[in-house]
Amino acid sequence: MISIRGLSKTYPGGVTALRDVNIDVKEGEFLVILGPSGAGKSTLMRCINRLVEPDEGRVFHNQEEITGHRRKLKEVRRQFGIVFQQFNLVKRLSVLTNVLTGRLAYRSAWRSLFYNFSQADKLIAIQCLARVNMEHKALQRADTLSGGEQQRVAIARALAQQPIVILADEPVASLDPKIAREVLTYLKQVASELGITVLCNLHQVEYTREFAERVVGMSRGTVVFDGPASELTDDMLHRIYYRDPGSGDAEDESR
Amino acid sequence: MTADLLAGSGRRAVTLPAGKKWRFHHILLAAAAVVFLLWCADGVDLRPKEIVRAVPIIGTYFARMWPPRWGFADSVWKPALETVYVAIWGNVLATFIGLPLGVLAARNVVRSSALRNLAKGVLNLFRSISELIWAIFFVAAVGLGPFPGALALGMNYGGILGRLYGEAMENVESGPIEALQATGAGRLQVILFAIFPQVVPQFVTYNLYWFEVAVRSATVLGMVGAGGLGFELITSIRLFEWRETGLILLVILGMVTVIDLASTYLRSRIY
Amino acid sequence: MNAATLDPVVAGTLSRTEALRSRRLMKAAGWGVLGLAVLSFSGNQIGMNPVAIVRGVPFMWDFFTRLFPPDLGYFPLLAGATVESVQIAVWGTLLAIVFSIPLALLGARNTAPHILVFHATRVFLNALRAINELVFALIFVSAVGLGPFAGVLAIAMHATGMLAKFTAEEAEGIDKGQVEALQATGANRLQVILFGVVPQVVPAFVSYAIYRFDVSIRSATVLGLVGAGGLGFSLFKTMKLFRYHETATCILVIFLLVLISDWLCARLRERIL
Repeated sequence: MISIRGLSKTYPGGVTALRDVNIDVKEGEFLVILGPSGAGKSTLMRCINRLVEPDEGRVFHNQEEITGHRRKLKEVRRQFGIVFQQFNLVKRLSVLTNVLTGRLAYRSAWRSLFYNFSQADKLIAIQCLARVNMEHKALQRADTLSGGEQQRVAIARALAQQPIVILADEPVASLDPKIAREVLTYLKQVASELGITVLCNLHQVEYTREFAERVVGMSRGTVVFDGPASELTDDMLHRIYYRDPGSGDAEDESR
Repeated sequence: MTADLLAGSGRRAVTLPAGKKWRFHHILLAAAAVVFLLWCADGVDLRPKEIVRAVPIIGTYFARMWPPRWGFADSVWKPALETVYVAIWGNVLATFIGLPLGVLAARNVVRSSALRNLAKGVLNLFRSISELIWAIFFVAAVGLGPFPGALALGMNYGGILGRLYGEAMENVESGPIEALQATGAGRLQVILFAIFPQVVPQFVTYNLYWFEVAVRSATVLGMVGAGGLGFELITSIRLFEWRETGLILLVILGMVTVIDLASTYLRSRIY
Repeated sequence: MNAATLDPVVAGTLSRTEALRSRRLMKAAGWGVLGLAVLSFSGNQIGMNPVAIVRGVPFMWDFFTRLFPPDLGYFPLLAGATVESVQIAVWGTLLAIVFSIPLALLGARNTAPHILVFHATRVFLNALRAINELVFALIFVSAVGLGPFAGVLAIAMHATGMLAKFTAEEAEGIDKGQVEALQATGANRLQVILFGVVPQVVPAFVSYAIYRFDVSIRSATVLGLVGAGGLGFSLFKTMKLFRYHETATCILVIFLLVLISDWLCARLRERIL
């Protein structure tokens, strides 16, 4: 349902983050993009919801192109919920208000001037919080929560957008293993309950094996693997993690 | 001593690493600084003998202020309160002037650098013109009294606060901003929900601090007819009524101390 | 969508949210009313009158037209006064630095030799801070005569108070661990202060001293009002003589001076920290 065709991006300064990336994402999938840091996973995500504009290539949603039209930025972005590694909640605001910020794209700017939201919005926000079991802390300030709790609130915020896709950029890199598994479980469960497609960037192989249905392996800006998680052999992992574009396969063999 | 400490360790002697050497340009810089300071001292008639002579003289002048003429307090408490009111309104006006300009001057709020530079320019203009000069200007516009004083403080402090607000906004965490942009929120919404909540405590701190400063400034605005204690103060000095001067200074000290305590208390409550 | 169809947990949270919101609004309204009352009362006492501003516009316009264009020929004549202002600021700040070091140590709880000394110093510093430089200048002009010397002393007095109190508060807030370590080596009190307290405080002290210099430049430009030298004297002299185009030049020069001093101080702070 999401098609990524020929996506390329080079940052000023010469760093090529993406090189002709082609991926198809099916509706309702839990897709993990696996790769070391610098592989281009973050850039890929930001190109999809257009926080970053790609140099070449296009992204389609149900045959409709979403790249390249400046006017439709708001509609594109609110359909893609994004969960960040650093949670990125507004620390001084309450948990509930943080989740409500997911609804901002559905309200006009002037209505939000007094920091109020409609009854309907509040209901949506609380229900999203309930799905990640955080509604009991709805009125607390966001910075009073632990890391795992904050990430669950961030997931709730993404859910509040009523998105078609959730993009999770290294959502658990800052969390310790038990909490990380908890968060990933929430993410996968909630997404499947609501029929939301998830693209999740991970660099941890164990989590990938545990949670992914399908894996796209990336290394240095290109896709080197695309298939079900069961096909993720050690050989494939080698290609993802140890590929050196300059010296070719000979060096890989000699490791 | 060294030999004892190294005994049995197999090492012979210790050499120190080379320290920072005084290069020629260091000496030149130091010499230039000294020459500069001497030149400045000459320009302001600053001579050690003069300072030594001046201290006891100043001492006698302060001695003449003691004991303060307590009876004079009757004529002084009203202008003292006036000074505080002027400071309050000066602060309020400064916030109204500084906030929009400061927001326009912040890099993460306004993309057009022309607009930002314009806002920064206006703020700099307001800041650098002393409140006394503004006071003279406003006295000419609306007449004598504390009202022009409040306006003058509003303009000058508006520039100061505005710049502080703008800088505070630029230094905010960018993570939440990116997150909110990613949800599709508009510019205004991002400012309201991602930037403002982060800077509000700083804004309050700035306002409390500059309110204290405003009270001190307001005490002299009367010298140009803009209300408050300034008029009584300058009159008492010009008439050599030092005991009255002493009382006024004491009143100022008292006011400032009370406000200082109150604002420290307020600050601890906010955090 | 009525409450009856909602999950009880959700409904509960919703009502809690509403309750909190109304409590908050009431509190805010209360403070708002109080604030407005204070503002209204004080505004009334000082004669705040927006209409007067509107009526004053023609006067302001008159003022402006008299100022513009600035008499650029007056520029070179201001060179001396500008230099004098800078020199006043330099020595005012320098004297403040010298005197504030001992006063800061006396005025900090952890470095003062005796609690009474601490309190006495604090009161003294508060006195220095509370009194505007202009007031000091007035008094000193009477005591030592007109001219920049009085200005230097005036700036020095006020700046000493500000710098010393700031440094004293920094000294109170240092990492006690470092001090303890030194005490444990058997160093005496003065040595502990010199090697344990002072090094921690120096960066903040230097930064604030540079800031005080910036402020002093601004103050030095108005001290001329009371005859204590600098650009202020030219400013008020030209105003009294109704030579407003020259006044405009003075204002321009002050503006540029402050701008340059700001930039300089910002760069200095970057280099040092």
